[in-house]
Amino acid sequence: MTGTISLKRSGRHAAADAPPWARTVLDCFRAEQIRHLVFLPDTVMGRLLALAETDPFFRLTGVHREEEAVGILAGLFMGGQRGAMLVQSSGLGNTLNALGSLAMAYRLPFPLLVSLRGELGEFNPAQLHMGRAVPGCLDALGIQHVTLRTTTDLETILSGAIKTCYTAEEPFGILLSAQLTGWKPEK
Amino acid sequence: MQREQATGVAVELAGQAPIIGGVGNSTFDLVPFDRPRNFYMWNSMGMASSIGLGLAIARPDLRVIVLDGDGSILLNLSSLATEIASGVSNLVHVIWDNGGWEITGGQPAGSPFGVDLAAIARGCGFPHTATVSDLDAFRAAFAEAMAATEPWAIVGKIAPGDSPHRPPKSCLALRDRFMAALLRGAI
Repeated sequence: MTGTISLKRSGRHAAADAPPWARTVLDCFRAEQIRHLVFLPDTVMGRLLALAETDPFFRLTGVHREEEAVGILAGLFMGGQRGAMLVQSSGLGNTLNALGSLAMAYRLPFPLLVSLRGELGEFNPAQLHMGRAVPGCLDALGIQHVTLRTTTDLETILSGAIKTCYTAEEPFGILLSAQLTGWKPEK
Repeated sequence: MQREQATGVAVELAGQAPIIGGVGNSTFDLVPFDRPRNFYMWNSMGMASSIGLGLAIARPDLRVIVLDGDGSILLNLSSLATEIASGVSNLVHVIWDNGGWEITGGQPAGSPFGVDLAAIARGCGFPHTATVSDLDAFRAAFAEAMAATEPWAIVGKIAPGDSPHRPPKSCLALRDRFMAALLRGAI
């Protein structure tokens, strides 16, 4: 089984359907040698991952609980490689102790991409509370973050966030609003 | 089998391989066998296996050793599946099994109730697993794991008892020493 797994990690999403914001995110990652995308998918991230999977520069590592991603990114960084975490707001809740006691305590940087549920266009009542708690959770941990709402200045904000992330040697939250990524049509 | 003795055997056979110590006693009993390629985790229970995986992805030229506890891996069982799904071949995951949460007062967990951690590892797809309960058997299994080119999981049955050892408390210094050792080739 060693190193030969070739299943399509991004699932059914097609790279051709990837939105412009996803292309910009990947361009900014590529420019800063952020090669490893450590993810637990949602629909928003799935579209980005489909595009990433067409580029051999990127290596996709799926986790089964989001907290794992903090450890994996810690190991990657200490081993000399850069990666980013890609999770939904609900999954950020599963990472909090590891963010505090590993990433912040040991100064292990990575962009922390969070697609926000519970803010705009939410249909699922159980997504509301964790979704709206994301900025507060990051604030409480002292993790800097920005929220991306439109494609205006997207590259500037992303590249600036990434630069600060590695200067500070801390995770940097990049929150993707449904204003940018769209919401589900479900009532 | 005593945890500290078995840890000494692991370090003796580790060669240049980095070792990630899990939270609490797994790290504490690694301290008497200190070397720059030891990483000591102070909190983030459960994260040792994920850190080891990230490092294994970053450094395919090295075998990466994780010294985990039974309570710790029970907190992050999904990481066993991720280790295999990621496709790495260079991970040696040791789980010290003393049947409970030792450091908090010896509350029983896992094996006293019939939980078989090696069977879980096999169920997650580990091609090689062993459960050993004496030092000679551990030495043999660990040597085989280190010489292999596939992932290994070894459950080491250890006697109860807390470690008297502690690593230094500067997380940043622990990180920097470990990273520098990996970079420059010092063991």
